Amino acid sequence: MSSTMPVAAPAGTGPEPGYRGRRPLGRSLISRLRPWMLLTPALLVLAVLLLWPLVRVALFSLQDYGLKEIVSKESNWIGLDNFVEIFTSEQLWQVVLPNTVVFAVLSVACTVVFGTVVAVLLASLGRVWRTVVSSAIMAAWAMPAVTGTYVWVWIFDADRGVFNHVAQTLGLQDAPVNWFTERWSFYAIVLLNVVHHGFPFVAVTVLAGLLSVPNELLEAAEIDGAGPWRRFFSVIVPQLRQIFAVVIILSTIWDFKVFAQVYLMPGGSGTNREVLNLGVWSYTESFGQNRYGFGAAIAVLLTLLLLAITVVYVRTILKEDEL
Amino acid sequence: MVATAALVALGAAACSGGGDSGDSEDGEGKTLDVWIMQGTNPSADAFFEEVTTAFKEETGADLNVEFVEWGDAHDRFVTSIAGGTTPDVAETGTTWTPEFADAGALAPLDDFVAEAGLGDDLVAGLVEAGTYEEQLYGMPWYAGVRSLVYNTEIFEQAGVEPPTTWAEIESAAKAIKAEFPDKVAVAVPGDAEFTVYPWVWGAGGEVATLEGDTWTSGLDSPASQEGLSFWTGLAADGYSSAGATTWRETDVLDAFAQGNVGMAIMGSWTPGAIVEANADMEGKFAAVPIPGKDGGISPSVLGGSHLSMFNTTDDQDLAFAFIELMTTGEFATTWGEQAGYFPGQTSLLDETLQSTDPLVAPFAQQFVEGGASVPVSPNFGAVQAKATTGTMMQSILSGSEDVATASAKAAEEMTSLLNGGS
Repeated sequence: MSSTMPVAAPAGTGPEPGYRGRRPLGRSLISRLRPWMLLTPALLVLAVLLLWPLVRVALFSLQDYGLKEIVSKESNWIGLDNFVEIFTSEQLWQVVLPNTVVFAVLSVACTVVFGTVVAVLLASLGRVWRTVVSSAIMAAWAMPAVTGTYVWVWIFDADRGVFNHVAQTLGLQDAPVNWFTERWSFYAIVLLNVVHHGFPFVAVTVLAGLLSVPNELLEAAEIDGAGPWRRFFSVIVPQLRQIFAVVIILSTIWDFKVFAQVYLMPGGSGTNREVLNLGVWSYTESFGQNRYGFGAAIAVLLTLLLLAITVVYVRTILKEDEL
Repeated sequence: MVATAALVALGAAACSGGGDSGDSEDGEGKTLDVWIMQGTNPSADAFFEEVTTAFKEETGADLNVEFVEWGDAHDRFVTSIAGGTTPDVAETGTTWTPEFADAGALAPLDDFVAEAGLGDDLVAGLVEAGTYEEQLYGMPWYAGVRSLVYNTEIFEQAGVEPPTTWAEIESAAKAIKAEFPDKVAVAVPGDAEFTVYPWVWGAGGEVATLEGDTWTSGLDSPASQEGLSFWTGLAADGYSSAGATTWRETDVLDAFAQGNVGMAIMGSWTPGAIVEANADMEGKFAAVPIPGKDGGISPSVLGGSHLSMFNTTDDQDLAFAFIELMTTGEFATTWGEQAGYFPGQTSLLDETLQSTDPLVAPFAQQFVEGGASVPVSPNFGAVQAKATTGTMMQSILSGSEDVATASAKAAEEMTSLLNGGS
């Protein structure tokens, strides 16, 4: 940003006397437009790559759009029928929405709590070990979701999995159990997978915040007689409110739209209807049934849901800051 | 600037796609884009090198073969249809051909087939699957069939003979389980629809029937339920495994190749893959046609592929020259032998049927005497994508629903989907 200032200064110097009267107007217009002109290329790219697809999805959601329409490139408007179908669907209320929302709430809570615990642990380590441990947990974050999912599937595999083997050796179960067939155990495995994949980001971000809390504050609190719990919740947490806001909002967005972690699990791609979530439902309807309009409507619903949650959350945080 | 340049480049790339235009008599300087499914033929690379050379000699045109994973293929077809970037010719699974034809993405082949004099020499089952509204959109290329593959070592040690009736399957499974408690006596996978239909048909049931314009699924008829009860009952009696509830056919293959499975419904194309996965299995397995309830053969789906011409092609004659080269004569025979499939040309198929190879003959018998087709409807793809049959199997195998409830639900869903509902 600073580099724009010297450029701006010469542009306003040495004007011809006759233009003196108009100069302030022209100058303020240019200086008002300048940021936009500088932003234009980036905005154009965003508009083409992000905004237009988003608009298209919204347009599709109002159509009965299938393979035929794709080939003929004709529109087929049906108003809000897709949304009516979604909202009157038993599957939405009994399976898809509970799976999506309950899972997101649980996984955001677990990810943030576990990430924060790890961050506190990291903060108390020396420089060398902190580097070693944080590199190790970053490996979990860097692992692609697909790879991570297959690792968890393998761990819980009924016939060859480590988990069943250990449980049987310890005498906890007599015969192998297929953990993927039941809704709760299925999502417990997804939860492990998602928390494992998501906590390093929280840990590292919160760690950065922890290290920026002034030591004087903590010392003052200690002198005033605050124990470690009190110091953490009354001094550190309020200081980190903005950071928590960011990690919670980002985790919420990620965990609401988990897809690969469910789709790639045995039965997750549609044979086990009990475990569908919004993302997988949208995908199987769109690309499996060639009902792109209906799938797009589910995607629009998911987007609106996320927007609502984010807006509410951001507003709460901002209001608290004002107090 | 960089962004603008990138945009321009994108635009240019989008415009240059499929721009090989020119005279249609001569293929010189042209390139034909072809999509072939990956994994069918282990030596596909060498095979297509030869095809490319032969095609260049015959037409003067170059061949650009791209291998596509089965799992991604449907999505890739749909997105390329949407973007107008379809290849000139592609391998399409038999259940997809009517769907893409219905969408208007394929070019009819009847005139070309008639001109080449091939009309009477194509395998009927594949022609039927490739015909939509009385026009042929899929050129029969190859087909396979599933039969009962068994581990000969396990069978010998358990002292059982290959089964010829359902009762014998059950007693064989019982004997194997007694001898090898840790092995899967018979694999009953939950996510493999084509291993289910033989039992439905074998008991005298139907998957779905067309009357007038209306499809009706027969999955919940008493006969179908009897077949389903027998097949899933093998799992309930403990002859399968807990893991198999969520198995796909690839998982069955893995387990079988590791020598952990006594018998399983597997395709004519799998023997090569079994040996490739585990060389120790060579010579340790054999096949028999899927037994009928009281003898005879339970029908099994003739699954296979067509070669389809997309209507985005610039040069239909060139595209058909390639299709003809692939689906007839020497190349069709070689492909079938290498991949473990039967050719789609009747005269070639007859030769293959003479084979006495123990891993070819039983499949050939199943192909001729016990071949069947899934409902030929552009909507059957939707049934597959919805995993209607897989859902039914999984809920029976996991014990969450009984056969009657699960099959009634599946039949209702299949009927609705086949008739264009949702």
